[in-house]
Parts: sequence; C-alpha cells; structure tokens
Amino acid sequence: MSMLEIHNLRKTFFAKKQKVLAVDNVSFAVQPGEMVGLLGPNGAGKTTIIKSVLGIVEPDSGTISVKGYDPSRQLRQLLSHTAAVLEGSRNIYWRLSVWENICFFAGIHGISVAQGKSYFEHLLGTFNLNEKRNSEVRLLSQGMKQKVAICCALAKQTSLVFLDEPTLGLDVETSYELRDALRELVQKERRTVVVSSHDMDVIQDICQRAVIVSGGRVIADEKINDLLALFESRTFKLVIAGVDHKDLLAALNRMFPQLTHTKNDRQLLLTANLPQANDLYALIDLLREHGAELETINQEAPDLEKVFVNLVRKERERCNGTL
Amino acid sequence: MQRYFVAMRAMIARNLINMRRYVFNTISGLVTMYIVFMLLFMGVRGIGGAGLAGGTTLEGLVVSYLVWVLSISAYSDLAWDLNQEAQVGTLEQLYISPIGFNWLNAFNLISGLGLSFVFATVLLTLMMLTTGTYLNLDLISVVPLMITALLSVYGIGFAMGGLALIFKRIQAFFQIFQFVFVAFLALPLDRFPWAQFLPLTMGGHLLRQVMVHGTRLWELPTTSLAVLVLTGVTYLALGLATFEWSARIAKRKGLLGHY
Repeated sequence: MSMLEIHNLRKTFFAKKQKVLAVDNVSFAVQPGEMVGLLGPNGAGKTTIIKSVLGIVEPDSGTISVKGYDPSRQLRQLLSHTAAVLEGSRNIYWRLSVWENICFFAGIHGISVAQGKSYFEHLLGTFNLNEKRNSEVRLLSQGMKQKVAICCALAKQTSLVFLDEPTLGLDVETSYELRDALRELVQKERRTVVVSSHDMDVIQDICQRAVIVSGGRVIADEKINDLLALFESRTFKLVIAGVDHKDLLAALNRMFPQLTHTKNDRQLLLTANLPQANDLYALIDLLREHGAELETINQEAPDLEKVFVNLVRKERERCNGTL
Repeated sequence: MQRYFVAMRAMIARNLINMRRYVFNTISGLVTMYIVFMLLFMGVRGIGGAGLAGGTTLEGLVVSYLVWVLSISAYSDLAWDLNQEAQVGTLEQLYISPIGFNWLNAFNLISGLGLSFVFATVLLTLMMLTTGTYLNLDLISVVPLMITALLSVYGIGFAMGGLALIFKRIQAFFQIFQFVFVAFLALPLDRFPWAQFLPLTMGGHLLRQVMVHGTRLWELPTTSLAVLVLTGVTYLALGLATFEWSARIAKRKGLLGHY
C-alpha cells in the first residue's frame, strides 16, 4: 500500500472575485520510506496540495489517502500518522524554549514527555540543538528556529512527514546541516518525507524523486536521475591557453558553426555542443593541428534547476498553444 | 484516552509557562483591574452608593465587577487566543493534531478557567480587604453559578474566534465587545425582564443574590436557574455552531494559516 495517494485533486480559490485554479487534477503517490520533492515555483500549488492532505484546506474534488485513511472521513486517524512543518519557524511558540516546544507539540499528538524523552534528546543531538535546549526560541537565529520547527514535527514520530520550504531563509551552512540530518533520518528511521521547495538544489540533494508542479498541474513525476538524464546534453567547455588563435578560430567556425568562444586576459574559452561521439575527437584533432594547448575540458552536467526551467517553459508554451 | 490526558497536560503546561514568561503582564493586568475597580468603587460611593447593578449596593458592584473580570478572561481565552494563534502561525499546527482541535480548545478553556479563578480569588481578596465589603463566599453555590454564567460568554468567544478566522480585521471589535459585557451585567432585571435572556444578565443577578444576600443555590427560584442554564447552553451552542461554520469556510478558502 502507498503511504500517500492523491488522485485528481482539484482546488479553486476566489481572489478579488476572480477564480484561481490552484490545483488542477493533481495525481501522484508516495511509497513508504521515500523522500520525495514537491517542486514548483511560488504559487504553483505545492502548499495547497499538502494542506489538502492534512485537512486544513478543503479540496473541490479528488481523493486523498494516507495509509488508506481519507481526510474527509477519517481525519484524526490520518493525522495520527502525519506531521508537518507548514510555515517554518512561524509554526512554533517563540516564547517557549526549544525543549518546551518539542514537548508541547509531541504532547498534543498524544506523546508524553516520559514516552518520548530519549527520542527528543536524539533529535536535539541530530540537529545540533543540545546547547540551546533551554533557550527561548525568540532568542535563536532563523536557522535554529527552522530546525526547532522541524524537530517539533519529527518528535511526533509519524511515518509521514511534510516539510514545506524547510530551508527557506537559511544560510548555506545550516541548509547543508539540515539536509544531512534529514537524510540520516530517512535512512535510519525509514520515514516517508515529502519536501516541498522551490530550491532545486535541496531537492536534488536529498530526494530520490521529484514531482514538479507548475500552474497547479503535475508536469513531471520522475526519479531525480531520470529527470537529469532527460536533459543531459553533450555540451563541452574547453579552456585553451593563450589568446592569439586567429587561424584556429576560423577553422573552428568552419567545422563547428554552433561553437561559441570568449576570451579572458590569458585564455580562450570554447563552448561546443557535440552531439556525435566523433565530433569531440575531430575537435581535439583540430586543436592539435593548430598547436593549441588544451588546459581543461568539461562536459556540462545538467542540474535540476535547468531541468525545471525547461519543463516549466515547455508547459507554459503548451498552455499558450492550447489557449 | 491516555492521549487526551497527555494533550490536556501539554496545553495546561504551555499556558502555565506562558503565564510565567509574561509574569509582568499577569501582574500588571491584576493591578490594572484592581485600580479600575477602586476608581469605580470610590466613584459609586461618592455618589451615595447608587446601584451600578440594578440599584443594588456596593457589594453588588464588587460581585458584578468580579463576574466581568472572569467574563473578559474567558472571552479572551477564546476569541483573543484564537486570533493570536492565527497571527503567529501556530493555529494550523493545532488543527493537525490527531486529538482534534475542538478538544485542544476545550483543554485550553479548562486551564484558562482554572487560572482565571486563581486570578479572581486574588482580586476579590484585595477588593474585600481594601473596601471592607465582605461577601458570602459559599463555593458550593458560587462556583456552579459562575461556570454556568460563563457558558454564554464562551459562546460569544467561540463565535468571535470563528469570525476572526475569516475576517482578520475583526480584532478591534474584540475589545469593544468586552465593554458590552458591562451593559449585560448592569441591566436590572426588575425593570427589564426581557434582559434575562441576554448573556450574563441572569448569571450576574443570581450571583449577586448568593454573594450579597447569602441565598443558597437551592434556594434560588427554579425558573431563574432554568433560564440561566438555558441561555448559557443556547449561547454556547450558537457560538460553537458559528465557530464550526467559520472554520469550514476558512478551510474552503484556505484561510487558516494566513493572516
């Protein structure tokens, strides 16, 4: 059985008397132990999808199930298996200490301090919050507040956890620290985590699969590696020593008309799309013929950001075409 | 069942911690209430003991003031707290508790009521000591009457809290409404019999009977007690219904987490 199943979810909001289709027939499933990224630009519908699962937004139509529980009929059973960080550090009490927050949020999930103490301690250790356990949250940095909010959700020890924009506003170091902690958690505790973010780097780093949402629609639902392979290019970047290469450039333009070049004060930088394997050999031969000294050569690797931009652009073009 | 006790303990612990953290606010609130009372007391005594509440005495003023203090405390535990939770962003977390938001709210009210009684006891002691006006504190009669009188206030609190989920700028109205309670308490039932169906009016009237005249709970007229229970339950039911209706609209419009 899937941990989470969403079928044909649809939600419309009314803003200033205008109908806004926030979620448009969204369907996807998440298997137990998966860490899935819900990726999309601002306003894509990610948060609405999560809130619909949690029963705090009422969808127009569609079905949702968490471990077989339907939020419209069995919300409490569903919620006993689910935790979420929805608005980051705003989700916790700033006047309470780190420990008091963890105990409170576990408590309203029915987990007493006596039952959860050792696990709460473990969370504080994993998220490097031990030293701050008795500090009031309002006195902590944004990154720490965010980590406390995540600890509060995890302290409920549910099998499914939603993290909505968990790295929003974090510095690079804290973001990496958080990613490590989440990765460890999924591996060791076999939790199912759905991370919603517009930060491609985070999703690429910690998730195995990404569901890309744009304009309320799912435009891709693939393993991260498959998504990257989809946009793998054979674009190479070459750095040639020296800047005086008139003859070489003329020859390159003749043989590789799509090749582009730039110069800095001591190097010539070439960017070439070489779709055939032999093209690369031909290019190297040409360089050798002209006595050019090749300093470095790199194949441009696609990242999730490029994949995302390409997919969203294609989707927009498709929509505009159908209008 | 154990989960519910754990959740109730968590809510009570949170409220106690908050009270401790905001100790200055708690004490200044108590002092303000006391000063306001003293001003009222001296004012009323200055004009010859004219009744604030239905032509009754200075003792009547003490009782009415006490009921008013407990009322605004109960009211703010609901309307104000809900609004605050929505503002700071924790309301959604309460909504995703498997215990159920309504239960958490009920636990919050129970702990709020307990704290309010402690607050009111301190205030009443201060008021009696400084004014020399001693009241009959028959707890067996006073406590059930007080709780039943507050049911209608909880009803109004639920309704206001619910409306605040949809209409975010209703906050200013909250404060004004606290003073409407004064009017409810001050209306004399002998001149305006219809007022017995208003929130707090019958409760205030019966509490004055008990605390000023020493009447016991079972000596009060059955019809008056029936009106008290009926109005309390009706206002509470209406408030809960308004809250549920508002929460459903907030969920439909996706307003629970936005402020």
